[in-house]
Amino acid sequence: MYSLRPLFWLLLAVAAVQASVLSLQSPRFTILSSSAEQLRSEPLSVTQKPAPLTLGASDALKLTFQVLDKDEGKGVQPHQTFLRFYDEISGEEGIQPVRVTSGGKAKFELNMARPPASIPPTSAGIPLKVELIIGSFVHSPLKVELFELFLPESHPAPQHPDEASFHPLPPIHHTFRPEQKLPPRIISAVSAVLVLAPWVVLVGLWGHIRPSVPYLLSPSILPFIVTLGAFETLLVWYWVDLKLGQVLLYGGILSVFAALAGRQALATKGDLRVGRK
Amino acid sequence: MGPKAPAKQPQQVASQSIPATPASQNALDSLWKAYNDTTSSRLKTVDAFLVFLMLSGVIQFLYCVLVTNFPFNAFLAGFASTVGQFVLTASLRSQVNPANRAEFKEVSPERAFADFAMGSIVLHFFVFNFLG
Repeated sequence: MYSLRPLFWLLLAVAAVQASVLSLQSPRFTILSSSAEQLRSEPLSVTQKPAPLTLGASDALKLTFQVLDKDEGKGVQPHQTFLRFYDEISGEEGIQPVRVTSGGKAKFELNMARPPASIPPTSAGIPLKVELIIGSFVHSPLKVELFELFLPESHPAPQHPDEASFHPLPPIHHTFRPEQKLPPRIISAVSAVLVLAPWVVLVGLWGHIRPSVPYLLSPSILPFIVTLGAFETLLVWYWVDLKLGQVLLYGGILSVFAALAGRQALATKGDLRVGRK
Repeated sequence: MGPKAPAKQPQQVASQSIPATPASQNALDSLWKAYNDTTSSRLKTVDAFLVFLMLSGVIQFLYCVLVTNFPFNAFLAGFASTVGQFVLTASLRSQVNPANRAEFKEVSPERAFADFAMGSIVLHFFVFNFLG
């Protein structure tokens, strides 16, 4: 099955070549003030644009023309007739459909006191290009640049809520919590003395009580005390220097000795206690 | 003593605001005297240690609250060491006290001391770990 597409384009091209041409007859514009006083009225030429038009906030623009089939000279009603208002600088445009009678006569009115929604936002001093676009099934399309129009400044176009994400966002500045500071040295020194003061109290109390440790240095008890001291030394050494694996290893070895020494020491102590009793 | 008799009567509001009435003063004195007389020197040694631990913990806590809690891990390590050691020592004292022999039949004082020593070493290990 052959593709029908090339055939379709061929037929379209043939139709376009044979399509009739549209033309405008007697296009004319009029600018009226709010008191219906005619400020400016000129016929439009499709070949040469007039001087730019200016509308005040209460003025009205009236545009009239007739659409003709060029060959036959008769008025036709095209399928689509649009006025395009285009702001070249900002790229905003508005399309306004124009009603055309069956005889081809068209009339368009733009009243600045009640502007239609199709007018794009305007900025001061920047004109809108006004073009007439006519489309028809049986005629070739027509596009005519009519004139440039200065309108009063309007509110700017509303910004899309996602607009910001299409531009580079502002750089992120991270703020960090300020470093915690140590208190002044004097306070630290005084506090250190205060915290170590209970040791003085302890030594004083023990000095007052004078507990008796008669068997501390006897050979059965001393090894246990020594291993306890060794444990504490090992822990301080760990705090200063050792790693976890090392301290656990040494502690494990030492605990064997501590268990043996402790067993003997406490058994002796127990005998002494029971013997005394 | 003279003041003793009227102190036994119901107190009025005005006199109750005085901190040390003769009656409470006497109570404290007799308590202290009883403690001194009845407690063995061994138990007093342990009690002194307990007092020391309490003081140490309180002072560290006051420092943390009043001055600064930086570095926090150091405070936690120090405070936890006093609290943990206090718990171990208090349990040792109650187990070793001859007056409590009926409560702790299965635990000999030697066993109690061995537990105390082991617990203290483990506590010190964790404290040094956290001290940083």
